[in-house]
Amino acid sequence: MALSQLDHFFSTYFKAHQCDVHLKENGILKVQLTKEMDQALMNRPFYWHYMEKTGQTGEPMQLTIITDPSHPDQQPGEWGHLGSPRLQQIIDHLKMNETHAKLYHHISPTTETPLYPWLVTNIKIIYQGKQTREELFSIGLNLINGMMQTNMMEALNTLSFQRTIPDFCFPLSPLIRLKSGYRRIENVLKQYINDQDHTWVKETLDMREHELSLLQHFYETGDEEHEALYKKEETDIKNRLQPKIHVHVINGGLFYLNQSFQHNQK
Amino acid sequence: MDELEIVFDQSFIHQLEEIALNDMPTSSWELFKMAYDVQKFTLIDTFDGLLAVDYLPNLTCLPHQLNTAKRVIEHMNGRAILADEVGLGKTIEAGLILKEYMIRGLVKKVLILVPASLVNQWVDELVKKFYIPATAFRKGYTWEHIDIIVASLDTAKRAPHCDDIHNIDYDLVIIDEAHKLKNHQTKNYQFVKEIKKKYCLLLTATPVQNRLSEIFNLVSILKPGHLGNYEAFMDKYAKGTPTTEDNHYLKELIKKVMIRHTRKETNIKPSKRHIKTIWVNFSEDEQTFYNRIEHELGNKVPLLKLTFLREICSSREACFMSLKKLSDKVKHQKDELHDFMNGLQELPQHAKAKKVIEIIKDIGDEKVIIFTEYRATQYFLQWYLEQHGISSVPYRGGFSRSKKDWMRQLFQHNRQVLIATEAGGEGINLQFCHHMINYDLPWNPMRLEQRIGRIHRYGQEQDVYIYNLALKRTVEEHIMNILYKKLDLFERVIGELDDILSRLLITDLESEIQTIFHKSRSTGEAKVKLNHLTTIIQENVNLHESEG
Repeated sequence: MALSQLDHFFSTYFKAHQCDVHLKENGILKVQLTKEMDQALMNRPFYWHYMEKTGQTGEPMQLTIITDPSHPDQQPGEWGHLGSPRLQQIIDHLKMNETHAKLYHHISPTTETPLYPWLVTNIKIIYQGKQTREELFSIGLNLINGMMQTNMMEALNTLSFQRTIPDFCFPLSPLIRLKSGYRRIENVLKQYINDQDHTWVKETLDMREHELSLLQHFYETGDEEHEALYKKEETDIKNRLQPKIHVHVINGGLFYLNQSFQHNQK
Repeated sequence: MDELEIVFDQSFIHQLEEIALNDMPTSSWELFKMAYDVQKFTLIDTFDGLLAVDYLPNLTCLPHQLNTAKRVIEHMNGRAILADEVGLGKTIEAGLILKEYMIRGLVKKVLILVPASLVNQWVDELVKKFYIPATAFRKGYTWEHIDIIVASLDTAKRAPHCDDIHNIDYDLVIIDEAHKLKNHQTKNYQFVKEIKKKYCLLLTATPVQNRLSEIFNLVSILKPGHLGNYEAFMDKYAKGTPTTEDNHYLKELIKKVMIRHTRKETNIKPSKRHIKTIWVNFSEDEQTFYNRIEHELGNKVPLLKLTFLREICSSREACFMSLKKLSDKVKHQKDELHDFMNGLQELPQHAKAKKVIEIIKDIGDEKVIIFTEYRATQYFLQWYLEQHGISSVPYRGGFSRSKKDWMRQLFQHNRQVLIATEAGGEGINLQFCHHMINYDLPWNPMRLEQRIGRIHRYGQEQDVYIYNLALKRTVEEHIMNILYKKLDLFERVIGELDDILSRLLITDLESEIQTIFHKSRSTGEAKVKLNHLTTIIQENVNLHESEG
């Protein structure tokens, strides 16, 4: 599921937040917000503040999202397209809130079954030079035996999870602590970054050198009064053309998986 | 690589430990997965290309605009002069670049400086076309707290704003009508130079590439040193005679920081211009009076002769104001001046004004803009139109921003005619109007182009109609015939004329023409000289065209 099917995207999102969603027809979506969603998305803090003060319950709003602007049945609502403020808001909301998870494999065994702890990290590497580029990794680490699995989210994709321990299941305690588990993942990524082609770093640095030398040449006749300006320009260039790599965990968590998961991956 | 900074996120794992330990609330599987999918989908997986396009489904960009945005981001590192000809959509280009940087997460804090009359228009376009939450600066706002702010250069450079702005690290600074920064000794220039900025876009429609000091100063804002230092640069290119090789080198350097598209290159002909010259004859009384000014008054105050003549061609009122000013100043000849002023009052209604009424009646119900050079004429016309049951609003440079907006709105919704003076012409977008009357022609063709650019610009889908009024047997006839008609200025894109003029080292065509009139003893002589001037220009135009 991706943003290419916006209908589906919006309705999954709102349903996951316990909102009633009516997909009238393809292209038009009616959502009855919950109080929590209204507060998160509708930007009316004073209303809710007032309701709270006066001891009233308040009435969450309804939202109509049109994903197909060519829909013949024109009705009031907002156009939700890629880049629309509403979608952006939801994306920000997701990125901001769905950062940590602790989930158990949803299985219904009849005998006592152990669940294995995994550290799952979804990591974005941001390369910043003259331009920016990003890479996304999903890495899982078995906290019992240290086995590492890439494309973890893709491997988990078809499974289902719940937030409580299923019947007849018992989670095993990790042998590897979370912090040291993360350090292992970090080391793998460090190695990965080191092995890369770093032409872009060189290009950025060359450009920086070039611009700095131009700057110097420009202020060469240098009277004192321009010194401050020179320093300012110099800092500007250095900041702008400082090659940087930022490794950022976008979300992750502790996942308890059935043993068969690991077997299936092999 | 020592110079490469690598930062690993540490906060995540600490938080996870805490959450696991204390059984704090966590995400459901659906939402967790969605957040990952969203990250995957919005990933910037390449250094190149424009991502913004996918995010702006209801904006159709022209190829040259996309090309500009791409070049600025990929090759110019976000520091460029955008110098497309008037009406090719520089705002769109700047918006695209801003959007792209925002999507890529490289830009957050943005300062946009534009002429006061354009502040609201910019905000409007950014919000509606690009979904960029831009805010217009208002009294009481603080510069630090608004991420994307649009303000006028004049406001921003004043204390205390100027210090506030200089204390902020901006990611992107956009300056519209940047030719205002061409002089490095002005306050504007110093102010802009001291703003801390990562990326910077300078927008200008004036082709600065042939004016060396101007281009030098603009480039120095973007990339100090790119063209060397001032003294060395001026010695080599402005004072000395640079070799063709030098010139070629300079052009290459400029190309690295400036993008200029012409209408010709882009093949944009959104709609046609229909240009009509309308000849008007003075009534007999008016003609007599005109001749008297030329011969009697002209001999006494030769320096002002031309001014009076141009004014009487516009309105009695315009001429009256100048006569009055003169008579207040001088000590002798007062009687004679008063005699002229009285004579003015006895003249019939101005022949051109009558013609304007005819034209507007012919146009019917559609909106019309009238441009005049004189404030007095503006007042007069407003009154005169009202006498004929035609509603109008005035518009001029001195109006405050809100008044300008208000006048524009009034014109769009309630009035038929907008009467503007020259200074009101800059920047305002009046595409909903398709008729323009040039009540008197400016002597600088660039200004005419700017006038026309108000209604005939990128995005105009209907044909536009331009009516140029000129009085027979007056100085207007010469200007119309020799300057405009001979050079074919109405049809030609004037940007290229400007290129040629600056190559001929004519910085101000208007003052050039004035000098010709002043220094000539007779109208005949002036005509001959004017003819020479236009012939030289024409030859260069032909040369320019044969060069391609």
